[in-house]
Amino acid sequence: MGDNRDDKMNDSKKPKIIAIYGKGGIGKSSTASNVAAACADEGYKVMIIGCDPKSDSSITLLGGKRIPTILDLMRSGVDITEDDVVFEGYNGVKCIEVGGPEPGIGCAGRGIIVAIQKLKKISKAQDECDLIIYDVPGDIVCGGFIAPIRKGLVSEAYVLTSGEYMPLYAANNICRGMSKINTPISGVICNARSVSREEEIVHKFAEEMGSDLIAFIPKEQIVQDCERDGFSVMERAPDSEIAQVYRNLARTIMSRNTSVMAKALEDERLRELTR
Amino acid sequence: MEKVKKEISIIHPRPSSIVAALYTLRDLDVDVAILHGPPGCSFKHARLLEEDGIHVVTTSLDENGFVFGGHDELVALLDKVSEMFNPKLIGIVGTCVSMIIGEELHDAVLEANPDVPVIEVEVHAGYRNNTKGVLFALESALDAGIISEDEFDRQKVLLEEATIVEKRHGAASKEYLAPSRGDLKYKVAQRIIDLLKEGKRGITIMNAKKETGYMFADVTVAVNEVAKQLGVGSNIVNMANIDDTLGLPRVRHHAKCIAADFKERGIVIHENIGGMDEYPIAGDVAGKLIEEKYSDYDFVIITGVPHAIPMDCIPGMEIISVTNGPRQVLPMKEMGHDHVIVEIDLHPKTLGVNNIVESEFGATLREVAKDL
Repeated sequence: MGDNRDDKMNDSKKPKIIAIYGKGGIGKSSTASNVAAACADEGYKVMIIGCDPKSDSSITLLGGKRIPTILDLMRSGVDITEDDVVFEGYNGVKCIEVGGPEPGIGCAGRGIIVAIQKLKKISKAQDECDLIIYDVPGDIVCGGFIAPIRKGLVSEAYVLTSGEYMPLYAANNICRGMSKINTPISGVICNARSVSREEEIVHKFAEEMGSDLIAFIPKEQIVQDCERDGFSVMERAPDSEIAQVYRNLARTIMSRNTSVMAKALEDERLRELTR
Repeated sequence: MEKVKKEISIIHPRPSSIVAALYTLRDLDVDVAILHGPPGCSFKHARLLEEDGIHVVTTSLDENGFVFGGHDELVALLDKVSEMFNPKLIGIVGTCVSMIIGEELHDAVLEANPDVPVIEVEVHAGYRNNTKGVLFALESALDAGIISEDEFDRQKVLLEEATIVEKRHGAASKEYLAPSRGDLKYKVAQRIIDLLKEGKRGITIMNAKKETGYMFADVTVAVNEVAKQLGVGSNIVNMANIDDTLGLPRVRHHAKCIAADFKERGIVIHENIGGMDEYPIAGDVAGKLIEEKYSDYDFVIITGVPHAIPMDCIPGMEIISVTNGPRQVLPMKEMGHDHVIVEIDLHPKTLGVNNIVESEFGATLREVAKDL
C-alpha cells in the first residue's frame, strides 16, 4: 500500500467523482463505505458524501458514530467551516453527511441542493481527493436528488441492483432517467440476495442496456455482522473473502474509464429476464 | 464554528430578491427577461419593467410544472422569445418554485442554444437581504462575460454597504415598521420658505438610487427655483450623486440625463458626490464635504436615501428628508431628522423616462411660493 501511490496520482490530477444509484435498501451505503475503505487501503485519498436525510452513509466508517450534518448546522444559524462538517473516518476517509428534515416534513430534495452548494463553497478537501463517492438516496424522486449530477459534480454513475425483479425494475428506471439527462452509466454492480440465476440475470440486464456487470457481491452474513458493530468489512474482517470482493471492485472503479449512455429495457423484456 | 449574532425576525413584507435580480438584468441591458416560475410571480414589477423597455415573460408553471418540472417550457420559451423579440442579450430568473424543485436553468439554455448570451440567475425570494438577487445576477453576468471583474468587485462592495445601511437605519432596522406618509408636504414647504426668508443657508443633497433620481432631482430644482425667487439663490449649495463615469451603462445614462436637465434649468451642482449606484457610500462623501466646507450651514434637504448621510457630519442643522419608502419615516425620525416627507409611488413614475419628472413635494413648494 502506498508504494505505487505516486503512479496512481499521475494518472490524473482530477478526482474521480462517482455516485451509486439503486433501489432503496439494496445496499448502496454498505457498498459505498466498503469501496471507500478499500480504496483508502490502497493508498487513495477518499471522501464519502452521504446525501440521504437519514445520514447513515458514513456510519460504518466512523465506528458506528454519527456526525453533525451540514443541514443541521445551517439550520442552527452558525457560520460553517470545513472542520465542522468534514470528519476523518477509517484510514483517513473523509466523511460528510448532508442530513435533512424528518420524514414527511419540508423538502429533502431542496436540502441536498443547498447543502452541496454550501459544501462546494466551504470545502477545499475535495480538490485533494482521488475518489469522491456521493451516496444518494434510493429513488430519484425529485430534482434535488439528482443535484449532485446536475450540478456537474458527479462524473461517473454506477447502478447497484440484485437479481430480484423490483430492484432491477428500479435500476432500469434509473438508467432511463440518467439517459434523459445525458448522464452515462459506468457500470452495474450486483449486490446479491441469493435468488436463483442471479449473476446471469444481472449480467444480461447490464449487457442489454449497454453496460457491463463489473462486480458480483455475494450475500454474506459477515457484512451484516460488521455493520451491526458499526464497522465496514474492510476494517473488521479484512481477511474475509467478501473483503477481497470489495477490494477488487475498488480497483475496478479506480481504473475504469468507460461509460455508456444506457438504453433502458422494455418492461416486458425485464420481466422475461427474471422469469 | 462561530455563532452568528442572532438577527432580528422582520415581519413586514420586504423587497424580493427575484425582483432585485430582474432590475439588475434591466441595468445590464438585457432585451428579454424570462421568469421561470408561476404566472403571477413578481407581476407588479415585471409589468413596471416593461415600461423601461425590456420584455418580461414567464414560463407560467402550473401544478403540472411543479410536479413534472418545467424544463420543456423553458426551452420552448427561449426559442419563442428569440424569434419574437430578436434579442441581443437574454436573462433568465429563477423563482421559489423552480428552485425548490431543482430546475437547471443551464440545461434548458444548452438545449435551446440561442445564439446570444444568456444570463442565468438561480434565485428565489427566500433571502434575508434582497441584495442577494443583485449579487447573483452580477455573478452570472460576470460568468457570461457581460461585466468585468473590476465592475463586479465594485458592485459587490456597494451591495454590502447597502445592506448595512438598511440594517442600521433602514427598513431592515426593526422587527416591524408601520408604513407612514410622513409629514404634511405643504407645512414642510412653508418651513423651507421661512428658512430662506430668514436668510438661512442650506444644502441640498440628492443621494438617489439609480432611476429614482429622476424624481428626487426635482426637489433640488424646486428648492433652487424658490430660493432664486426670494433673491437668496446663492444661499443654497447643491450636492448630487450624478457621476456619469461610474456604474453599468444604463446607470451612467441616468446620471447624464439628470445632469443635462440640471444644466438646462440653470442649477449648479457644486459637489458631485458619486455614481448613481453609489447611494450607500455617497452619503459619507457628502458628510466629509460638509465637515470640510459647509459646516456652518443652517439646514439640509436630503433626498433619495437620506439615512445614508452620517448624522455626526450635520450637527445642529435642521434636517428635511425626502424618501420614497413609507417604512423609512420612523427610523429617520428616530435618527433625528426634523421633517420627513414621503414621495408615494415614486418608482413607477421614474421608469422609462429620460428627464426629471415632477415630484409632489417640488410641486407643493412651487405652489406655496407662488402666493408670496
